[in-house]
Amino acid sequence: MKKLRLDPLSLAGLACLLLLVLPALGSLVDAAGDPDAIVGPRLQPPGPGWWLGTDNLGRSVLPRVMEGVGTTLLLSSAAVLVTAALSAGFGVLAGYRGGYLNELIMRVVEVLYSFPAIVLAVLVAAVAGPGQLAALASIVLVTIPLMTRLVRAAAVAVAGRDYVTAAVISGARLPRVLGRHVLPNVAGTIAVQGTYALSVGISVEGGLSFLGFGVQPPQASLGVLIRQGGTYMMAAPWLIIGPGAVLVLAILSINVFGDGLRDRFEPRETRSLV
Amino acid sequence: MILELDDVTVSFTTGPPLRRRRLDAVRGISLAVAEGETLGVVGESGSGKTTTSRVALGLQRPTSGTVLFDGRPFPRRRRDLAGRIQAVLQHPHWSLNPRMRVGQSVAEPLAVLGRPAGSLVAEALEQVGLGAGFAERYPHELSGGQRQRVSIARALITRPSFVVLDEAVSALDVSVQAQILNLLKDLQAEFGFSALFISHDLGAVRYVADRIAVMRDGEIVETADAAAFYTAPEHPYSRQLLESL
Repeated sequence: MKKLRLDPLSLAGLACLLLLVLPALGSLVDAAGDPDAIVGPRLQPPGPGWWLGTDNLGRSVLPRVMEGVGTTLLLSSAAVLVTAALSAGFGVLAGYRGGYLNELIMRVVEVLYSFPAIVLAVLVAAVAGPGQLAALASIVLVTIPLMTRLVRAAAVAVAGRDYVTAAVISGARLPRVLGRHVLPNVAGTIAVQGTYALSVGISVEGGLSFLGFGVQPPQASLGVLIRQGGTYMMAAPWLIIGPGAVLVLAILSINVFGDGLRDRFEPRETRSLV
Repeated sequence: MILELDDVTVSFTTGPPLRRRRLDAVRGISLAVAEGETLGVVGESGSGKTTTSRVALGLQRPTSGTVLFDGRPFPRRRRDLAGRIQAVLQHPHWSLNPRMRVGQSVAEPLAVLGRPAGSLVAEALEQVGLGAGFAERYPHELSGGQRQRVSIARALITRPSFVVLDEAVSALDVSVQAQILNLLKDLQAEFGFSALFISHDLGAVRYVADRIAVMRDGEIVETADAAAFYTAPEHPYSRQLLESL
């Protein structure tokens, strides 16, 4: 395996992402203040003691945004891991085995694909009840169709290669063929799609919580903060600018990083032919 | 006979629904490979060579006709034949899993059988002229010829009684082709496996085959001993092929 080298832009994306995540994971949230504590007058513009202003209850916005990024990213990452695991399983099986199994999996995926993301998310929230679980399940359902299709496409290409045929001729059974030959060679696709799914996940969480079906206050997530900030948009625009900017930055940096990963993984096959 | 194909036809359906056409990839072919013998199959692209090799490997069930391996039909479970049939396939670029070290690839047929590899991998790499040090390398560090040598080591590590070589040298430079063909002859003399050598290249086939079958449009037009074939081909198409050599 060649070393994982990325171009400066996607490294910047990765750095930016870490910069957003690390404070939320570490003790820096505490340093910035308690996200639930009332620290001053309501709806104050940014100033000492509340660097991003205060909200309608007099809570400091900065620690709430930090907590919100953490909640949103954690939720989206967990959902993307579920998506990756399911897509890897279904996609590889459909791509390698083909036939009726492929038809069945792909038709189910296409039905899911045909739902607009937010309709699907609201549907899930209606069935499961609003909350983190609904947000997680929505992200999985929204991201799984595209990822499964792409993993399947990659698996179809890998399935026709001589090393897979050679393994079958040697008498290798399905788990070995899939686990040792097909899956490792579609892992790049899964990683690339995983980053894109993460950014889709963040916006789905944002949208769902904004509508009030996702994460429930007082817990902060980017969607929750934007919803609350929207109410006071005219009087206190910093309430929506802070979490909004962070949301944009998170999605942007993930996509830039994903592009770098894709450039690293996907042209490899054509490049190494020469 | 290690392998016998008797009146084998393989058909595929192609085209859109309602206008489905039946296409015979191979039509009524019969051939046999004796113990220790190499049968060369030559023919142009689309003549059914690859389908023939897939049938011989048990990867493709014939639409009609019978296939006997070692006097018996292919078992329902591929695994019952594990280690007894191996293949060296066409593309050196895709013959090895890029995510596995050469040593792991070579050891895989043994792992499938649940046999310990021990020093066998190093021996197999030595036999194909690579040296045990190659076991730690990844395929992208190897040249096309080296990769085909690794494929040969992988194919022979279980001491199969039958090996299919499907265009095994076609993608290589002529000088490397000669080296690999020599290697195959030496290894066959040492281990005594039977082989089906499939190629569009009459020159390469001449080098290794004891007998030759010429395919055209899914049928075998002529089967002859190599010596007789190259001096006096019977079928006009064989003559045409030889003249172009």
